[in-house]
Amino acid sequence: MTPDPREAAETRRAPRPRRTITTAFVVSRIAVLAVAAAILLYAAPPLIATRSWIGLGVLFGATAVIGYLYLTRRYVPAKYLIPGTVFLLAFQVFPVLYTVTTAFTNFGDGHRGDKAAAIAAIERGSVRQAPGSPEYQLTTAMRGSDLVFLLVDPDTKQVSLGDAAGLSPLTGAEVGVTGKVLRAPGVTVLTAPEAAARADEIAALAVPTDAGAIKASGLSRAFEGRAALAYEAGCDCLQGEGGPWRADESRGYFVNAAGDRLAQGWQVNVGFDNFARVLTNPTISGYFLGVFAWNSVFALASVAGTFALGMAVALALHHPRMRGTKVYRIALILPYAMPSFAMLLVWRDMFNRDFGLINQMLGLDVDWLGGVTTARLAVVLVNLWLGFPYMFLVTTGALQAIPRELTEAAAIDGATPWKAFRQVTLPLLLVALTPLLISSFAFNFNNFNAIQLTTEGGPFPAENPQVGGTDLLITYTFRLAFGTGGAQFGFAAAISVFIFAIVAIVSAVAFRRTRKQEEVYA
Amino acid sequence: MKLAFRHAFVLVVCAFAIFPILFVVSAAINPLGTLASTELLPTGASFTNFGELLTSDVYPFGRWFFNSVFIALLSSFASLLLSMFAAYAFSRMRFAGRRVGLLALLLIQMFPQFLAIVTIFMIFTEVTELYPAFGFDTVWGLMLLYLGGALGVNTWLMKGFLDTVPKELDEAATVDGATHAQVFWRIIMPLVTPILAVTALLAFITTMSEFLMANVFLRDPESKTLAVGMYGMIAGDRRNENFGMFAAATLLTAIPTVSVFLWLQKYIVSGLTSGAVKG
Amino acid sequence: MRKRALGVAALTTLALTACGGSDPAAAPSAAPSESASAAPASGKLVIWADPNRVKALAPFADQFGTENGVTVEVKEISKDNQQTFLTASQQGSGPDVMIGAHDWIGNLVQNGAIEPVSLTEEQKAAFSDVAIKAVTFDGQIYGAPYAVENIALIRNTDLAPDAPATIEEMVATGKKLKDDGKVQEILCLPVGQKGDAFHVYPLFAAGGGKLFGATPAGDPDPKQVLVGSEGSVKAFGKLRDLGEKGDGALKTSITNENYISSFAGQKCAYLISGPWAMGDVRKGGFGYDITPVPTFEGGDPATPFVGVQSFFVAAKGQNKTLAQEFVTNYVTNKDVAKALYEADPRPPALTEALEEVKAADADAGKFMEAGKEGMPMPAIPEMQAVWDPFGIAEAAIVKGGDAAKAAAAAQKTIDGSLKN
Repeated sequence: MTPDPREAAETRRAPRPRRTITTAFVVSRIAVLAVAAAILLYAAPPLIATRSWIGLGVLFGATAVIGYLYLTRRYVPAKYLIPGTVFLLAFQVFPVLYTVTTAFTNFGDGHRGDKAAAIAAIERGSVRQAPGSPEYQLTTAMRGSDLVFLLVDPDTKQVSLGDAAGLSPLTGAEVGVTGKVLRAPGVTVLTAPEAAARADEIAALAVPTDAGAIKASGLSRAFEGRAALAYEAGCDCLQGEGGPWRADESRGYFVNAAGDRLAQGWQVNVGFDNFARVLTNPTISGYFLGVFAWNSVFALASVAGTFALGMAVALALHHPRMRGTKVYRIALILPYAMPSFAMLLVWRDMFNRDFGLINQMLGLDVDWLGGVTTARLAVVLVNLWLGFPYMFLVTTGALQAIPRELTEAAAIDGATPWKAFRQVTLPLLLVALTPLLISSFAFNFNNFNAIQLTTEGGPFPAENPQVGGTDLLITYTFRLAFGTGGAQFGFAAAISVFIFAIVAIVSAVAFRRTRKQEEVYA
Repeated sequence: MKLAFRHAFVLVVCAFAIFPILFVVSAAINPLGTLASTELLPTGASFTNFGELLTSDVYPFGRWFFNSVFIALLSSFASLLLSMFAAYAFSRMRFAGRRVGLLALLLIQMFPQFLAIVTIFMIFTEVTELYPAFGFDTVWGLMLLYLGGALGVNTWLMKGFLDTVPKELDEAATVDGATHAQVFWRIIMPLVTPILAVTALLAFITTMSEFLMANVFLRDPESKTLAVGMYGMIAGDRRNENFGMFAAATLLTAIPTVSVFLWLQKYIVSGLTSGAVKG
Repeated sequence: MRKRALGVAALTTLALTACGGSDPAAAPSAAPSESASAAPASGKLVIWADPNRVKALAPFADQFGTENGVTVEVKEISKDNQQTFLTASQQGSGPDVMIGAHDWIGNLVQNGAIEPVSLTEEQKAAFSDVAIKAVTFDGQIYGAPYAVENIALIRNTDLAPDAPATIEEMVATGKKLKDDGKVQEILCLPVGQKGDAFHVYPLFAAGGGKLFGATPAGDPDPKQVLVGSEGSVKAFGKLRDLGEKGDGALKTSITNENYISSFAGQKCAYLISGPWAMGDVRKGGFGYDITPVPTFEGGDPATPFVGVQSFFVAAKGQNKTLAQEFVTNYVTNKDVAKALYEADPRPPALTEALEEVKAADADAGKFMEAGKEGMPMPAIPEMQAVWDPFGIAEAAIVKGGDAAKAAAAAQKTIDGSLKN
């Protein structure tokens, strides 16, 4: 059964002329059109309301393309791929691409927003209450259609009226026991819900004074304050205390002459700085090979171990006269049915030297997670426990697809069970499972949780707290990106790109080898 | 002798599988309810932890349970369909970019998800504004997000299986005038029931234990899933105090998964009796 | 805005997904039934809290809502609360009010995520000094404190009737009890494989160790990291003497998971922990007492870290005025403090509430007493760079590693990451 591409192409082309317009054809096309219309009707109005014309364009364009795709008889593969791909693009591809773009910025804690936001935060944070000024009790009121503040000085009980023009004394106001104004001539006092409804106006109103301005703080308090720092567009700097603080666009900070910087920064492009940091960081470059080697061993051992054990059990149960398979199977999938984060914590505890179950039962005094070799052994064992039910399940499924006749034929031919397995069962299993083994390798190569929830990368040597014995590339580089000085998303993204490249190359090479297999059995 | 050997081997593996779980059972029925007692045998046996868990007014366990099962059932069904479609195309059709597409599918999974959270927030902030029904705090939004991952590993899994189904079957049908849709629904799908069942189970389990996205997505105490809710029980310094309840919850979490398994088991092993592939 | 356009593009593609046609049961058909009648932004206050506090806050949130004619929603976040808050805020889907620990403040401020809250002099005076000091950052108050927590020495009085005056005395008693077979461990203080800077800090301070120098204003100065300094090396040396190669009082096998339960199970007579341990300790069914952590003979005071739980006003909230109102005038009252105490027994920051709580529960007062001289956990963002290296150095030293070498390595790591 050597596949002939021409033959395959012909079988697809040949029947076309015989096709006629069937009812199913018409109904399915009408259904497609109806669904497309329904989605347009649902999705378009909010886009129009918010004037998101680009979004609307994309919506129409995509609907048209998809509509065409399902109405035409061509592009058959696309018909099957589109439904999943749309979700994939929106929620996986787009986030990944977007994240990669952040690798070229200093995006991270202290540099999350844009410059305007940083300036606003700095100015707001620098507002201090004017020394000696009263802490006013605030009542909000309307004078005609204007919002005004009725301010009660708690010490003198004097009432003033504040508006955008300034502060003026107010007489004849009636002040309640809580210090709020109940009634006042010429204005209508707002009730709490009315005030809450005008929260934005209240926040916006500043009553100018000599020392600064009186602003509301919440709905029932106001104070006279002044911003110690103010932005000036001319010098692109903040004037005031300790200043001038000039904008440093290469780092996204305001710095002063003394070299100090303000805490609030903004996101700027840093080009390839993050990538350069990965390559030049002595911790990363100095330990890369060691960590990479262990990382590969871990991934390989995890895949090989889980597959071997899972397959062995599946084969053992795959026998017509085997009894109790139902009970066995349930027991075997239990590790997979438990929340893995919980079980990882349990395992970590079992490896405890003084309190752990393992030492207790074996009568040992081994500091499992304290030594490099034992810790590595431990994480591989834990990962075996977590992963083998998965392999067991897929192998069980795959075994059903292998015609029993084949193995029986081998047995009749006098092959030993081992030989029958090697020559008949295993090759067929591998056709079905090789793709899975590759993806399992890629998954385990980056298995953050398996390490983070057990050893956290440890044990760490005293002389180097940054690289632990069981650290994978992903755990140790992410400790660099997140464990020190807040989250550094840009740096983390750059690291991810490197790791991604490594995994991609390894997987691609492995994947190339499957081509032959695929063609032989397809 | 052969059968006995099989039993012995499987029993050993079962023991390995169950041994850590016994520890959880012990913690769950231990009235003291704390982690890290060395004893595998609990110091006392009672169902207080279960009682406390089910009647707790801080932790609406019943709701979590329902939410999880609901989301997991629905999203595993939908993602099964999507990945089955894709796997069919990848296995049976030859088109430009096929192998690149497959590889890309794998690689996209390799990107650390916790970095993507920032973008997920960006997207769904917008969605919440425009289409609140699919925004934050809704099950439907979370489900859309889960469907983004539908093609990932499952497509690879099913593609491998479809490759083992002899191509002559669908070719014969095509010659008889069947459309690609008929081939797919009438010929391929019935043949791969075991693996459909396996994939469904795997998708179910994955969704049940998904945590990262559900945590940022569902913030109403009532709308949480089991994984998120349970994590909250032992978050921070509450770990010791709630461990008994947590252990009880862990055990109860296995119930839906085992039930789904029991339900799907007959499909998974159907090949044994019916002989899935004739010819 | 580019971001917005990208977001829109992404979501429109997804809106089209049901075009697969094969699963009409998918999302869109369900949409109308999910009536998300979002209230106008002005009438809604959103609060994010951790799971332990959501239930306790709900009645007060409702009351506030009724009084002000708004809806108040209390939402629950279980993990990575600070980062989730920052990310959500940045994208505009964050809350109006956030609840968290005071040592977040530095990072929240540098991200422009929270606003100062204006407490009156009168209100400030109603809180304990350490609470106000903790929420003050760069001269501004950034949160309304509601609970204060610190660690203390909890002692099983059935086994060790007298409070030890020094660490030496405590270790001697512990050793004797261990030799007599009454306990298995001398001291229950979590170390673990990665160390635990929070719990060991009192001993470190008692030995003369310091993390940071001080600015003229008395705040920790991130420019002077002192983990590798002479005093700190000396302190690490003392920890080494207590460690596995010395007295055996500190062990990496004692971890955050088992230290409290070991004490509750009477496997050790001394526990260094905080108010969160009391639930388990009481279940143990023996007599106990809470005293300040003792110091070494002739040592410095064993100052614990003090953590202050606080309410923050989100800078990017939809409704900052209401948030300010809620935080400054509403949650600073005694009843809220007490309700939160009931939900999660940590001593209230409000002196008046503490007095009332103390009357019913002496432990709260004792913890407060033990933390009187405590040091608020440094809120500066640079502290993030200290926790891990410090802990790893601690674990290495407890295992018997060289104190000077480990301290130097930690110092180098911290300096390296602060430089970036």
